[in-house]
Amino acid sequence: MVENREFSTGGRGYMADGKKRGQMKMMQMAFMIVAVFFFFILVGLFFLSIQFKDVKGSAAQLQRDQAISSLRVIADMPELSYDSGESATLDEDKLKVMSGNFSRYYDEFWPVASVGVYKLGTGYNETKPCPGVGCNYYKLYDNEQDNVRTYSTYVSICKKVKELGFVYDGCEVGKLEVGVIMRDEE
Amino acid sequence: MKNKKRGQQEIVGFVLIVVLVVIGLMVFLIISLRNSPEQEKSVEVSNMLDAIMKHTTECAIVYEPDYDDFEDLFKSCYEGDSCSNLEIGACEYLNESLRAVLEGMFASEATISAYEIDFFMKDDEGEEGLLRIFEGNCTGSVSSAQRSVVSQSDSLIIQMKICKRS
Repeated sequence: MVENREFSTGGRGYMADGKKRGQMKMMQMAFMIVAVFFFFILVGLFFLSIQFKDVKGSAAQLQRDQAISSLRVIADMPELSYDSGESATLDEDKLKVMSGNFSRYYDEFWPVASVGVYKLGTGYNETKPCPGVGCNYYKLYDNEQDNVRTYSTYVSICKKVKELGFVYDGCEVGKLEVGVIMRDEE
Repeated sequence: MKNKKRGQQEIVGFVLIVVLVVIGLMVFLIISLRNSPEQEKSVEVSNMLDAIMKHTTECAIVYEPDYDDFEDLFKSCYEGDSCSNLEIGACEYLNESLRAVLEGMFASEATISAYEIDFFMKDDEGEEGLLRIFEGNCTGSVSSAQRSVVSQSDSLIIQMKICKRS
């Protein structure tokens, strides 16, 4: 009887130990799974932070590039473009005409707040409005708005030059600057 | 003995997991670093380079007033020509006049801290530098653009890099 009781007690002890060890194993596995889960979340966050580290900057750059591309539309208008079949090439003679008194007829033509062109050839130091000796700035249009953001792009300014009986295209580097009216954010 | 063996097995398993994770991270890092370019292509710099290439210089290789623009002057420099009206080599004149034009352009740009123009020949054997103009101290983001011109069946590359203050 006594032996039987001892045997049965010992048997329950083994069963309890095995159950406890199994529970421990399950807990270990659960902790491991949770740790691996958190580890992969951290890796994911690291990956996302690298991928999106400069999304704002890229968006601003894209917006700027889009604005600059739009400036080429203005540069290629027949009122300003040079007769060379090349894009972003302005005619200096047309600039002279458009920056004079003639420009008032175009007040409702321009879809922007201001349009100006700088000649940036060798020796550019300060802005000298045209017409004038050694001038380097053509103001084509300005409706004198206050809330204006300016965008600019580089263009070529060309004119026909006659020298020693030959006529050739003389071009120099210029900058087209356009002011865009900013709408107040509601 | 049995416990010791099981412990060793667990350690081997753990090390295996760590090694696998490290390899995964390294692959990810290599891919992400390879994908991020050193400098980005820019519409602004591209327009700048187009305007420069069309700028008429004072160098006439054959006769006056058949002046080269910068695009032709790059070719003349590569071909070893001279400016007949100025009596200097095309490369020497290219170096001087391009510097002057760039100075004029960037005099009005407060945001640009440095600029660089590289002129090199590219073929199957590699690249051969012909001219480099560099000014300023780069602090900020770099934007670039490049144009390719062909001279004597060789491909000449003109690359421009602009460094903008951040």
